[in-house]
Amino acid sequence: MRLLEDVSASVERLLPASRPIRAQWTASVVMSGSLLLLPFLVRLDGRPHADWQQFLGRFHPLIVHVPIGLLVLVPLLEISGVFRPALREAAEFVLALAFISCLGALTLGFLLAYGSGDTGTGVTHHMWGGIALSITVLLCLLARPWWLLGNETRLYPATLAAMLLVLLWTAHQGGSLTHGNNYLTEYMPVSLKRWVALGNLQANTPGADTFYARHINPILDANCVACHGEGKVKGGLRMDSYELLMKGGKDGPVIVSGHPERSLLLERVTLPADHKQFMPAEGRPPLKPEEIAWLKAWVQQGASPTATTLKGIFIQENAKEAPLKPVGDYSGMMSEILQMESGQGAKLLPVSSKPSDGLILNTVDVAASFGDVQLAQFQKFSPYIVEAELGRTAVTNASFDTLSKFSHLRALHLEGTAVTGEGLMKLAPLSQLTYLNLSGTKVTAAAVAPLDSMKSLRHVYLYNTPAQPATAADSITQPIAKTAQ
Amino acid sequence: MKQHPLCTDTEQCLGVMDLAVPPELKREWAALQTRRHFLGRTGKVLGWAAMASLFGDRALRGDAHAPANGQPGTQAGEQLKLPHFAPKAKRAIYLFMSGGPSQVDLLDYKPNLAALYDKDIPDSVRGAQQLTGMTAGQARFPVAPSHWAFKRYGETGTWISDLLPYTARMVDDLAIIKSTNTEAINHEPAIMLMNTGNMNAGKPCLGSWLAYGLGSMNDNLPTFMVLQSKLNTKENNQPVSSRLWSSGFLSSEYAGVGLRAAGDPVLYLTDPNGVDREVRRNMLNAVNEINRQTFEELGDPETHARIAQYEMAYRMQISVPELADLSKEPQSTWDLYGPEAKEPGTFAYNCLMARRMAERGVRFTQVYKRGWDMHDNVTGILPIICQETDRGCYALVADLKQRGLLDDTLVVWAGEFGRTVYSQGGLTKDNYGRDHHPRCFTTWMTGGGVRTGVTYGETDDYSYNVVKDPVTVRDFNATILHCLGIDHNKLTYKFQGLDQKLTGPVPASVVPGLLA
Repeated sequence: MRLLEDVSASVERLLPASRPIRAQWTASVVMSGSLLLLPFLVRLDGRPHADWQQFLGRFHPLIVHVPIGLLVLVPLLEISGVFRPALREAAEFVLALAFISCLGALTLGFLLAYGSGDTGTGVTHHMWGGIALSITVLLCLLARPWWLLGNETRLYPATLAAMLLVLLWTAHQGGSLTHGNNYLTEYMPVSLKRWVALGNLQANTPGADTFYARHINPILDANCVACHGEGKVKGGLRMDSYELLMKGGKDGPVIVSGHPERSLLLERVTLPADHKQFMPAEGRPPLKPEEIAWLKAWVQQGASPTATTLKGIFIQENAKEAPLKPVGDYSGMMSEILQMESGQGAKLLPVSSKPSDGLILNTVDVAASFGDVQLAQFQKFSPYIVEAELGRTAVTNASFDTLSKFSHLRALHLEGTAVTGEGLMKLAPLSQLTYLNLSGTKVTAAAVAPLDSMKSLRHVYLYNTPAQPATAADSITQPIAKTAQ
Repeated sequence: MKQHPLCTDTEQCLGVMDLAVPPELKREWAALQTRRHFLGRTGKVLGWAAMASLFGDRALRGDAHAPANGQPGTQAGEQLKLPHFAPKAKRAIYLFMSGGPSQVDLLDYKPNLAALYDKDIPDSVRGAQQLTGMTAGQARFPVAPSHWAFKRYGETGTWISDLLPYTARMVDDLAIIKSTNTEAINHEPAIMLMNTGNMNAGKPCLGSWLAYGLGSMNDNLPTFMVLQSKLNTKENNQPVSSRLWSSGFLSSEYAGVGLRAAGDPVLYLTDPNGVDREVRRNMLNAVNEINRQTFEELGDPETHARIAQYEMAYRMQISVPELADLSKEPQSTWDLYGPEAKEPGTFAYNCLMARRMAERGVRFTQVYKRGWDMHDNVTGILPIICQETDRGCYALVADLKQRGLLDDTLVVWAGEFGRTVYSQGGLTKDNYGRDHHPRCFTTWMTGGGVRTGVTYGETDDYSYNVVKDPVTVRDFNATILHCLGIDHNKLTYKFQGLDQKLTGPVPASVVPGLLA
C-alpha cells in the first residue's frame, strides 16, 4: 500500500496537465487497487471450487513463462537500444505485451489456487508476488515516457530493477511450489550449502533417532510435502511434522494407528497409478514398494513417533560418507611412479581411470622385503595414495610415523604384520581413514581403544589378535535351526 | 637373412624380408605368410573358409588390443583405461552351482504350494513355453511342493529352507535375487551363457574379461583361478569343461588357471630331481629368447602369451605351495569351515582356498560344484549336496567378513537355471523330480558394492514366471562388472568386426536395486 502512496505522491509532483495522461494514471491506480483488493474479496478458503477453474488454472504454469520471458527482455532491449535505437522503440511494445500477459497469468494462477483449494504460505507469497509484479510492470509503463523525454531519468531504471527483483522472488516461490522447497538445493555442493544456508542444515533432520525421523519423515518430505507442507496445503493436509500428519486434512485423519487398511494415506498411495485419486498426484513418481512397506508397517505397529525399530522391517542404512578430499592429478608424475615401481617392486595402481580417484600402494609381490624404509620412500606420493595394502609386509610400529603423513589415506591394510599398536594413534590426523585392518597382528584391546575417537574410521578389523582372539569369534559349530524332516 | 632359431642349417636365400618393401608390409607378410602357418591352417580347414581365415585373421582381430603392443607383465588396465570408475570391489569369488539348484526347495518360498499338491499347474502359468525333451511328453504337470519347511531368519526376516541352515545365518548380508532368468533350457548352452554371456562356445568368460580388463594385483599368482570340487557319484554330475574358463578370442594369458582337486595343486610343480631353481631359470631364459625371436619373425601375439605363461609357471612353483599350505591356519578356521575343509577338493576346501587367494590378490576365483541336476529323487540327493555346500558358502562369507576382506570382495552364488515346480516323473508324498527351468531361478551376491539384506525380484505363486524386476543373465553380468568398476558397455574387444563384450549386443543394464 505504501508503494501506491509513493506513486501517487510522485504523480502529484510530475503530473503533466494533459488529460489523456491523467486518464491513464487514474485507470492505473484503479487497476492496481482492484488487484490488491482481489485476495480480500475472493478468499482462498482451502476448498476446491468449480472444475472449469482448475482446468483453466492448470494452464498457469505454462502461460506464466510468457511474461517472464518478455520482462527479462525489456532491460536487454533498453540497454542494446543505446546502439540500435530501433530496439529501444520495441521495448515499449514488449513491456505492454508483458503487462497484458502478466494479468493473464495472474488470473490463471488465481483460478488455479482458488479452484483447487490450495493454501499455505508458499501459495500466499506467490500470489502477492504476482500482484506486486503486475503493479510494478504497470509503473514501468507509466514511468517510461518521462524517461524517454528526459523529465525524470532515475525513476524508470529504478522501477525496472525493482520489477526484476520482484520477478525473481515470485518465480522462485512458484518454482518451489511446483518442485518442492529443496529442489534447487538438493544437489548443491555441501560447501556451498553451508555457505548459503549457514545454520539451517541441521534443521532439516529431526535429530531424534526414531523410525519416524529416520525413515517415514524423509519419505513424506521427498514425495508429499511439496503439496502438503508449509508452502502449499492441498486438501488442508500438512505432512511436514508428526503432529500435523496425524491431524489429517479436510477429509479427516489420514492415519489410523494400527490399521493401515483404514488409513487414507496408504489407500491413496497404493491405488493404481492412473487412478484419479492416486498419490503422489500430477504424474509424480509413485512411492517405492519398500517405502510403502515401511509406511504400512509403521502404521500397523502404532504409528509411533518414538519407536526406533519396527518388527520385520530391516533397513540397511548406508552411513553418510564423509566428503572425500579430492586427490590431485598424479599423471604428471607417471615417469617417477614407474621408476619407483621398477626400483622397488611395490606398485602404485590407479583406483580408476580418473586420476582424482587416487592410487593404491600394492606391495603383495614384494611383501616379505617391504619394510619401514621402503614405505618411507613412497612418502612423496602420499598426497595421491588413498589405499595402502601393507598386509603381511615387514612394516613395524615405526611405519605409523610415515603413515601419519599419508593425508589422503582412506584404507589401510596392516593385517599379519608385526605392528603391536604402539603409536597407532599417530594415525589420528588421518581424517579420511575409514578402513583399518589389523587382523592377525599383536594389537591389544588397550592399544586400539583410542581408535574410537577417530570419527571417520568405521571399519576396524581385529580378527585373530589379542584384542579379539580368533577362537572367541563366533559360536559357529552348530547351525541355528535343525534340519526338519 | 636371420637364421631361424630352430633350424640348424644356414642356407641363404632371398626371401620377402630381403626385398625393398616397406617394413609394415613385411610385418604383415610375416604374420600371414609362412609356410608353417600356411600348411598348418590349410591342413585344418578347407576351401574358402581356410582362405578367409588365412587372410582375414589379423584384419578381423584388429590390432587395437593385440598384445603385440603391450609387453607381458604390463597392466592391461593401464592400456584400456580401467577401471572406468572407482570400484567397490577389487576382486570377486564366484561359487558356481552347476546343474541348476532348485529355487523352490531352497530360497524361493511358496507357502501356497502345499495346498496344491498333485494338482496340475494351470496352463496360463506355463503358457506356450517349450519344455525339455525330458518332460515335454508328460501327460500331467503336477505341482510338487517343497519337501522341506522354510523359516524366517535374520533381521530381514528372509524365508530360507531348512536345507540351508548356514546360509540362513547370513541372510542379512546377502542380496538374494529371485528373478534371475535365462534363455537357455539345457545345461551346456545355459552354463555357457552364464559364464561367457553367449550360449555358443568361443567367447571369453567373465573371469577372462576381468583379467583382460583389470590386470593382475599379484604377479606371482594367476589373475584368474578355477577350482573344481570333487564329484559325488550319488549326484547327477553334468560336465564342466575348460571352455567355461577359456579366454575365447582374448589372449590365452587371460584364461583361467585350474588347480587340481587332488595331489599337487598344479602338475609338475616341483622341479625334477637334479634340476635346481637356477637350471630351471637358465632353461626358461633360453626358451624365452627363442620365443622372442619367433615373435619378431612371425608376429603372432600368442607367442607373448606363451612367454608370460612360462614365467607365471616359474613363479607359481614358489607361490602355489605357499598358497596351498594350510598348516598355519588356526583352529578357528576348521571350526568355521568344518572338518571336510582339510580334504583337498571338497567344496569347503575350495572355499577356504578362495579366501586364501583373495588375501593374496587373485582377481577372480571361480569355484565349481557339480551335481545340482535333480531330475528325480530330489529328497534323496538335495540334502546331500546342500550339506556339502551350505557350510562352505557361509564360512567363506563369514571368514571374508571377519578378516575385513568382504568390503572389497564380491561373492556371487549362482547356477545356470532353476528347476520346475512341477514334478518330473512320478510324484509321491516322499519324493519327486524337477526338470530344468529357465524362466526364474534364485541367486545371491554379497560383498563389495552389493546392497545387503535385500531380496530382489519376485516370482509368481508357482515360482514359475518372474512377475517383478526381472534380472537377465546380461543384467546379472553387467551388475557384477559394475561392482568391479567396469562399465559393461565400454569393456570391449574388436573381433570379427564387432566390438565384442561380455553382455553381448542386446542391451543390458546394471541392476541399481542390487547396488550399495
